Amino acid sequence: MQPEVERELIRKCRTGDARFYEPLVRAYEPSGIRLAVAMLGNMEDAHDALQDAFVKAYEALHRFDLRRSFGPWFFQILRNHCRDMLRSRQARFKLEVLDERLELRPADAEKGPERTRERAAAKELLWRALERIGEEHREILVLKELQGFRYNEIAQILDIPEGTVASRLFHARRALKDALESMGAEFP
Amino acid sequence: MSDPITHDDLMRFLDGELPPGEHARIAAAIDSSTELSREVSIYRAVKGGFQGLSFHPGTYHHSVWDQVERHLTRPIGWILLVGGVAVWTGYGAYVFATSSVDPWEKLAAGAVVIGVILLLTGVIWERYREWLTDPYRDVYR
Repeated sequence: MQPEVERELIRKCRTGDARFYEPLVRAYEPSGIRLAVAMLGNMEDAHDALQDAFVKAYEALHRFDLRRSFGPWFFQILRNHCRDMLRSRQARFKLEVLDERLELRPADAEKGPERTRERAAAKELLWRALERIGEEHREILVLKELQGFRYNEIAQILDIPEGTVASRLFHARRALKDALESMGAEFP
Repeated sequence: MSDPITHDDLMRFLDGELPPGEHARIAAAIDSSTELSREVSIYRAVKGGFQGLSFHPGTYHHSVWDQVERHLTRPIGWILLVGGVAVWTGYGAYVFATSSVDPWEKLAAGAVVIGVILLLTGVIWERYREWLTDPYRDVYR
């Protein structure tokens, strides 16, 4: 979504007209659900978290700085909400998405069942490793690898100095590598 | 002598976060060091594996917009409902109080209404106090 359009929608929402919030919700929910699932590990909790985060964001729109982009600001709210859910034990990281994630893709069928099984096993291993590395490492990996955010955006979302992002990413990647190795994965 | 390559440099190199000159310096250092090359290839494999965990488009069918909209418009509904009830109650009480009904009937009706309000308030207050001290209030499932 173009920044000018986004700003205009937010201005309209601030006047109390919730209809103008719909395009923002629809634009950010696909990436929002990815972040929430990766943090919470299951679709049901992720769905609840996403919904609550959008409501919180709407209620806080009057505090939103229009010079900023809505995305990182919203993901900061969502990430904090997911962490609150995990802390208050409303949710815990559960790998209930595995079956959905390992669903056969059309391209896999052409490569044969053996290749599909290998790929599914590798993904399952990766998900198990993610479960082991803990919330802090998981969230920064998701923001970088799945969401594709730049370092400055990650710094904004996680509320850390930009210079710390590379170091946090290194520790997260190393933790993931160690977890994979401890589960039998081999690297070149 | 050039600065040593740190882990942070490697991460910035992998993520394309370095300025061109710095990128070339790190690339040259990696090419000339077996240890660095191996490290980069490991982290590249980790990165690639993670990126392979993209969503199947079919796993996320329905939008949360409907639920979000309900949350956002609910307060307006409550304001209208409570406001409307308050106006009608006030008007009803005024009409009743200024009507030609016997004073004892007004007193009896007033006592019933006040009694119901007190009982209801008592129950709500009790439930609220229980909720405040409930250790399981955050446990949904």
